[in-house]
Amino acid sequence: MTSTQVSLLATATGPHLFWIVSRAAGIAALILASVSVCFGLLMGGRLVKRRGPEMRIAHEALSLATLAAIVIHGLTLLGDAFLHPTLADISVPFLSGYKTLWTSMGIIAFWGLALLGLSYYARTKIGAQRWRKLHRFTALAWVLGLAHSLGEGTDAGQAWFLAMCAIVALPALTLLTARMLGRPSSPATSVRKARPRAQLSLRPAPADSNAHHRH
Amino acid sequence: MNPNDEPAPDRPATDRLDARKLAASRREAMRRRARRIRRSVAGLAVALFTAAFLAVYVQLASGHDPALTAAKRRTSATSLKASAEQTSTEAAPAEESSTSSSGESSSGESSSSSTGAESSSTETSESPSAVTTSQS
Repeated sequence: MTSTQVSLLATATGPHLFWIVSRAAGIAALILASVSVCFGLLMGGRLVKRRGPEMRIAHEALSLATLAAIVIHGLTLLGDAFLHPTLADISVPFLSGYKTLWTSMGIIAFWGLALLGLSYYARTKIGAQRWRKLHRFTALAWVLGLAHSLGEGTDAGQAWFLAMCAIVALPALTLLTARMLGRPSSPATSVRKARPRAQLSLRPAPADSNAHHRH
Repeated sequence: MNPNDEPAPDRPATDRLDARKLAASRREAMRRRARRIRRSVAGLAVALFTAAFLAVYVQLASGHDPALTAAKRRTSATSLKASAEQTSTEAAPAEESSTSSSGESSSGESSSSSTGAESSSTETSESPSAVTTSQS
């Protein structure tokens, strides 16, 4: 490619640079979020028996990368000459005049992912059990994000985008459906879950009451 | 002093030291693995963003962007519709003026001249859109 062609390309896409960056960040965020949800569901459903700590680290890193990509996706829109939104338009739901429903879905999805994801660092204060219950709603935020990208995304009608969505979202959706239907993920898991109850019922009451609390 | 008594208290201490070393090495290995995973995820994120950027950029530069193509199609359709409406509304008075009497010929001429001026204006208004369409 000659320098003239490169400069022509730069001139042609120059005014749309913020828009292109925003679109690219949105696509990256969708893929990262889908992979992260997959990891989370695999860990939560105990489908992966080994590599637990590694998966947790990968899940955490993917979630943080997703949040960073969404922040870039939103902030770069501020520089777009066509939409020219305000900070409130991209951060407060039902305020933007451009495709209000889909935009609001995206904003709610971002706040949901941010609050439910970052609450991991405050789980000692929240309580592990309560945090785990709350964290399940992250999947709902991801579904909202997916709907936002399919409903409002510029490339939503493109074959490559739909194929990419299918590749990354279908496994996560399958895992999510399996989890919601409450099917035992594996016989080993159901046995593992059932065993402590049986042991507890057969085991005599501990002499030390603190020992029971430690469980 | 019995020589067998001495190693007995030392052995648990050495065992404890070994266990600590083992735990420390395992912790270090885990930390290293965590760093490697975080780095690969960051690399993956950057690679994804770059690939998506390039895909959208090439799509836009080659004139196949879905949003811009739709906007251009909409603009050209609107301009074509407007020009068609204009020519249909202007054709009716022109026909009326041609069938009018000789005393009204001056007004007919003026109307035909104005039609000509308007038609030229529609041509000029259409020409930029035609240029942009050909550029795309």
